[in-house]
Amino acid sequence: MPKMNLTHFEATLLFALFASAVLAIVSKPTDKERLHYGLRSFGYFAATVFGLGWLMYLGHR
Amino acid sequence: MSEKTVTQFPPLPPIRQWLLPVVVAWLVPGGGHFMLKRHFRGAILCGSVLLTFVLGLLMRGYMFEPASGDLLTTLIYTGGFIADMSTGVFYFMAKWFGYAAPDIAGHTVDYGTKFLVAAGLFNILAMVDAFEIASGRKQ
Repeated sequence: MPKMNLTHFEATLLFALFASAVLAIVSKPTDKERLHYGLRSFGYFAATVFGLGWLMYLGHR
Repeated sequence: MSEKTVTQFPPLPPIRQWLLPVVVAWLVPGGGHFMLKRHFRGAILCGSVLLTFVLGLLMRGYMFEPASGDLLTTLIYTGGFIADMSTGVFYFMAKWFGYAAPDIAGHTVDYGTKFLVAAGLFNILAMVDAFEIASGRKQ
């Protein structure tokens, strides 16, 4: 089985995708609300990754 | 004097009403939802848990075994073991096929370990959701 090497960015975005999907499915009652919640949750995850990434970059300069 | 608002939980329904869907949801991620005729939700949950688990294996994540020692070690290893085992048949198949990646340093392996644990935590959420549907607390 080949070993997969993902960058930090790829790994966190994949995690964000699956976590958003699961949280949306279990927490909202209708498909429309699930879609909105999932997209918003993924957006928040991605924004946090960008924000913390830049914070670490600037903190290590 | 202000009055406290007490939220009343509905009484627990009979165990035979929800036990089977919850056990099936543990053994086969998404299976509880399929059993309860929530096919679309079951498919999304199954796909999310499966892909997270497979990515964890491909990154050679470490599968926790219960270990004792100081409190933090016990918490991490026992909690990790419970989370890993919560993926049900995926965990047992990986063990049966001899998956045993060592716990080594490195960001890829570390992500893999977290993905394996996350897959189990996702399935615990799916089990709770299956319980709520089976017990009539949720549609």
